[in-house]
Amino acid sequence: MQLEQSDKLIKDEYAFFLQEKNGWSLTAGPQDLELVAHALRVLLHARTTPDFLADYLALVDCQGEDGGWSPFSADRESTVWVSAFCGLMLIRGNRLLHHERLARSVRKAIDYFLAAQQPDGRWVDPRWADLDTTSHPVSFFNVVLALDEPHRRSDVLRAWERGARFILDHQSADGGWYDNDFHPSGVEITAHLIQDALVADLVIDNRVNGVRESCAKGASKLYEWQAADGSWDEENVDHTMDCTRSLMVVTRILGDGGGEESIMRGLRWIIANKNPQGWGDFPGMETNLERTCDGLDTLLKYKAYRNENPRDVVRLWGYVP
Amino acid sequence: MSSGSGGMFPEMAAQYWVTACRVEELPPGGRKLVKVNNIEIALFNLKGVIYAIKNRCPHRSGPLIRGFIDPAGGIKCPMHGWRFDLRDGSSERPAQAAVYPVKVESGLLYLCV
Repeated sequence: MQLEQSDKLIKDEYAFFLQEKNGWSLTAGPQDLELVAHALRVLLHARTTPDFLADYLALVDCQGEDGGWSPFSADRESTVWVSAFCGLMLIRGNRLLHHERLARSVRKAIDYFLAAQQPDGRWVDPRWADLDTTSHPVSFFNVVLALDEPHRRSDVLRAWERGARFILDHQSADGGWYDNDFHPSGVEITAHLIQDALVADLVIDNRVNGVRESCAKGASKLYEWQAADGSWDEENVDHTMDCTRSLMVVTRILGDGGGEESIMRGLRWIIANKNPQGWGDFPGMETNLERTCDGLDTLLKYKAYRNENPRDVVRLWGYVP
Repeated sequence: MSSGSGGMFPEMAAQYWVTACRVEELPPGGRKLVKVNNIEIALFNLKGVIYAIKNRCPHRSGPLIRGFIDPAGGIKCPMHGWRFDLRDGSSERPAQAAVYPVKVESGLLYLCV
């Protein structure tokens, strides 16, 4: 795909995303915080975060006393998965916003994740598989470490390493990760774990043995699972976007040029199966905002992936400053 | 052919029966998505018993019509695997899916919505 084509798509889809602002912005009223976090990620990667300080402050306003967030902004029961996504967007957003309230909120979130970790290194959330749940605080801590946030640093390092080790220890011999309840096919969870949790170690401090081999095996499994048409998981738009993005960052960090063809097939399928505005969960389904945020994020990451400097795409996961 | 959940909801005062489709459009083993009163409903014919469940998973709105049926009469969402019992919408996850009573008359399939 030509970069000009992706630039035009990004421009059109970003305009649609802004047009739908009342559907994702906390400044418009209570929201689904997973959707809010997806939207804040688009703002980060579109480099428009400084125009949306009110949205970040509104996210701080709905943080619980314990430092976590609830799936719905008006609720008060903190859960791990969405809390990690919110915390991640705040720490990354505050690199640009430099706001003390955001900095305090990030420190509270760190306290929350340190308190919530289980003795074996996992984090749990009844809405998600344990492995998937664990990958999110690990991802948050990846960025906490990459950005040199000093709050309880030795505790964070310990918790992060135990979380990463929990994930590594549960990789199957074939290179994939599986969960019989949530992810029997293994596709989405494998894409998540290598990009969100593990691969960051290779650019932060190579602290955990076996990460490089584990990520390479996971990426190989993603190649194997890809359908001839470029999609993953029975034409699942969400999972195809996950796999395509995952391969962009993992192959760049591993220096694996073999991922290029797979990434391009995935990207072409994603574009061929978009609606006139936005994306649905499967081809032909009506547009929803969360998938549209994922689609925009995929295009923005592709733009960075095309740059010669591999750090440009890695930066969009927050693993380098 | 029998209905999966017809007659189990005597308390539904404000609801009424609406035609969903012709019965032959849903043979055993088949599935069909219909829209009734602006609600997407996924229909499944499991060995001659028809079940109707709201199409959007209560978790992240995944389309249950594309889900995976298990032998115990459950449907698993294709997005993140949440499972719902097609008979009553119950789940081990923190959610309840909406299910609808079904009846068949004169070759037509009706849903109580």
